[in-house]
Amino acid sequence: MKNLSDKNIINLRKFLKNNILNNTDFMGQENERQQVYDLLHRTITSGESNSALLIGPRASGKTTLVNNVLGDLQRFFSSDAVLVKLHGLIHTDDRIALKSITAQMNLENAVDGKVFGSFADNLTFLLACLKSGERGVSKSIIFIIEEFDLFCSHHNQTLLYNLFDVSQSAQTPICVLGITCRLDVIELLEKRVKSRFSHRQIFLFLGNDNDNHLDQRLERLQKFLLISNHQSLDITPAFRKQWNSSVNTLLQNRNFKSLMQRLLDLDLSERSLKNILLLVVSELNDHNNKLSYDTFLKQVELFERDETVQVLQDLSVLELCLIITMKHHCEIYDNQPMNFEMVFNRYLKFANANSNIQTVERPVIMKAFEQIQNLELISALTTGNSGVQKEYQLFKLLVLPHQISEAVKKITGLPTEVTQYANSSLV
Amino acid sequence: MLNMSTRKSLRLQSRGDTTPATPIHTNFYSPRLRSSVKRNLNSSFGASEQEPLSPTKVLKSGSTPAKGQKKNEKITLIIDKKNMTCRPLFYYESSESEDDCVAKSRILGKRKVKYPAKYTDVYVSPKKTVRGIEELHFTPVKNKLLEKDVFNDGSKTPKTPRNSSKKATPRSTIKQIREGTITPKVQSRIKAVELNNTPLKMARSQLHVSYIPTDLPCREKEHEDILSFLEGKLLDKCGGCMYISGVPGTGKTATVTSVINHLLKAVKTGEIPNFQYVNLNGMKLTEPRQAYVEIVKQLTGKTVTWEQAQNTLEEIFTKKAKKMKLPIILLVDELDIICTKRQDVVYNILDWPTKSITQLIVITIANTMDLPERLLMNRVTSRLGLTRLTFQAYTHKQLQEIVTKRLFGTNSFNPDAVQLVARKVASVSGDARRALDICRRAAEIAEVEGDDTLVTMSHVNEALKAMITQPKVRAIKNCSRLEQYILQAVISEVERTGIEETVFSNVYKMLVSLCAVNGFNSVSCTIALRAISKLGACRLLLVDQKCHDVDERIILNVSPDDVYYALKEE
Repeated sequence: MKNLSDKNIINLRKFLKNNILNNTDFMGQENERQQVYDLLHRTITSGESNSALLIGPRASGKTTLVNNVLGDLQRFFSSDAVLVKLHGLIHTDDRIALKSITAQMNLENAVDGKVFGSFADNLTFLLACLKSGERGVSKSIIFIIEEFDLFCSHHNQTLLYNLFDVSQSAQTPICVLGITCRLDVIELLEKRVKSRFSHRQIFLFLGNDNDNHLDQRLERLQKFLLISNHQSLDITPAFRKQWNSSVNTLLQNRNFKSLMQRLLDLDLSERSLKNILLLVVSELNDHNNKLSYDTFLKQVELFERDETVQVLQDLSVLELCLIITMKHHCEIYDNQPMNFEMVFNRYLKFANANSNIQTVERPVIMKAFEQIQNLELISALTTGNSGVQKEYQLFKLLVLPHQISEAVKKITGLPTEVTQYANSSLV
Repeated sequence: MLNMSTRKSLRLQSRGDTTPATPIHTNFYSPRLRSSVKRNLNSSFGASEQEPLSPTKVLKSGSTPAKGQKKNEKITLIIDKKNMTCRPLFYYESSESEDDCVAKSRILGKRKVKYPAKYTDVYVSPKKTVRGIEELHFTPVKNKLLEKDVFNDGSKTPKTPRNSSKKATPRSTIKQIREGTITPKVQSRIKAVELNNTPLKMARSQLHVSYIPTDLPCREKEHEDILSFLEGKLLDKCGGCMYISGVPGTGKTATVTSVINHLLKAVKTGEIPNFQYVNLNGMKLTEPRQAYVEIVKQLTGKTVTWEQAQNTLEEIFTKKAKKMKLPIILLVDELDIICTKRQDVVYNILDWPTKSITQLIVITIANTMDLPERLLMNRVTSRLGLTRLTFQAYTHKQLQEIVTKRLFGTNSFNPDAVQLVARKVASVSGDARRALDICRRAAEIAEVEGDDTLVTMSHVNEALKAMITQPKVRAIKNCSRLEQYILQAVISEVERTGIEETVFSNVYKMLVSLCAVNGFNSVSCTIALRAISKLGACRLLLVDQKCHDVDERIILNVSPDDVYYALKEE
């Protein structure tokens, strides 16, 4: 347990974590945000029916943008509009989605969130309801559909057809806003659904079409880490000043900048940055009350490390020897699949040639082989019980040669024979 | 605790109880029970004080283990409306009323089979009203739903009904919806919408696809064809079929609807006999057989199960009716959805016109021209007949005319701009919806500059760019450096092997050398795999999820030229 007696540092950590995790304000891409805002605003205030798709890679702030816009439009939702949110992973078929729509629109056949009647009943009733409404009299309904591409795989695309059809006919004003990460989502739509969709696509890209990503990233970091004066925190002004200056010096550091550039090169999204920041902030304590370049470097290295190498390092010497044997087999026979017998024979040659290597029984080696299989370092070519004995089942190695040599280098206390065996396949 | 055990014992008892009018033990109602009944009813009725006390709970009294006692008991509850108190009276029922009771229970039993319900049903039977006092008859009726309200053991307190505070139970609402007494509606807004005061706003509202003009331009011939077909059939008093095809957005449904409106007007002047119009859309049904339900609903206003609906329709169309019924025009939109493997629904719909007593005219609409030959069985195709009509895709002149007619009265669009839209859309699909949407988007773009701007070519160009262009080049430009290197590595691997499909281990080798050439620190397999799965999620690469990491199969989903173009410009 780390010593956390200082109240300042406790409050600071709490504030920083909260700021990193629950930061909902939307940065950049003002143009796209304005488009979404206009679309929803027009649907609500002038009763126009619309449909649009918000497309962008994962972690590009699509949901954040929509939530931000909806927050701005909050004042309308009690009087002029109804919000219906659907999610492709939750509403896995039209039946469930329809029940959820009925409940969220609070129609007559829903009581306290429970919907009655069959699927056909619900659809007919919903369509009749939407048909009864008209522009200017009834409330606008806003459908936010997350993971839109999953709705395209529903039977006949009935729900999408009906929603788009309502948006293109003189009925209740609705706005259908789909959110997805697939760029080719339009090709998933059936031709009549596609014809009814208004083809308004709003793209949200991480790069934002400009090149000074690093400056943006540093600015963002400043927003996450600096404590401004007007925030009511139980931190003494002296400590705050000290903290802010330390953050500023860190952000000016050249090594730190190149580290951030490296992170940007790997991944433009803010999510990886947030994960690393959270880990760094968690390490703050009484003795270590400043952010340093070294802690960042440590976390980035952890982020970049190879997980397979990590697994290989934890193997026993016998298991590692078997892996090396498999590597040799792959090198000699050009990635041909192998079975236990082949590996066993090759391993025996090695064990017999070196008197220092302890000879072990065949069942023990079999056990080690199964352990390797369970770790998914090798995978069977045929799945299920194909009637082949387990000694003769064919396998493929899932480890690349450079990963093995890297692991061998990192393990300390490995017998010299094994290291030599790893480097040459001539036994 | 008591309630729980009561219910359990009830369920056990009622399972054995099959006869509705079960004899009840004489000693069944102990004084203690009586008071509990009173308490219970007070609480349940007291909560819904505002309502008239019409809904009466028909309570089922469970069977008692007594042997041989065959006396029926009828409990009458006297409720004083003023004081809101209940006083149950118990007396032996005379033998005459037993039949009555059985009959009622039969009705209830039958009803129960029709509507399997999960919720407490409210059975309304105010028998007599004498000086503000209502008698509620607690007849022993078999009703599984009310098991929790059954008092069968004198020593235990009956449970208070849970849903007592609700005004109408959901079950009754469903019943009313099915019978068509509740009209479906959406919530109405408080503030009125803004008026279309500026010319651009007016143009936008008229360009909306939902705005239907009085007459459809460029479809006069088709309009005339359908009209003459329908008029002829109506005047000749015979049935018939027609098949209309065309790509989406060519005005098929709109034309038919306008013909029907025209006919309805003609009916009013007495030129043609009156008729009924039924409108069916395959995509609005959950399954093909719901078509029967939908037709019956539009004819009678009631919702029944599809078996009943089919029987009703058979009766209407094939059996001789007592009085002459009105002729029916049936419009079936999206016919291909109703076609299943068995094709029974399509067959029935097309068969009724041939043998019908009641005159039936069927108009079917679908997208493909050769649907009857390709999808339908021979006997169905033969019944569909050869009266066919194909809607051609709009040419650019027609599209231009459509947009111009809609803009009549506003002068906010440059004619050249309209022509550009028409030509672009006509070259791709000839979809009128698309042309209207693009014009509307252009008007929105122009509106940003001011309320009275003229929509020019530049605005239209911007709208076209936003709605037709492919986003892939932009997506590649906005990838991180690592992701761009991976795309390049996949391309060079494809060029090296000449096969489109590559494996991760090969791509990784290529990636390492590419990184070395470009002076980029090499990345671990974990990071590379993560980046590849990200590219796979937005479909720049196609990734086989089933294979394991190192032999993951990767296919490039964009053309290599796009990647070169996107990366070269930097």
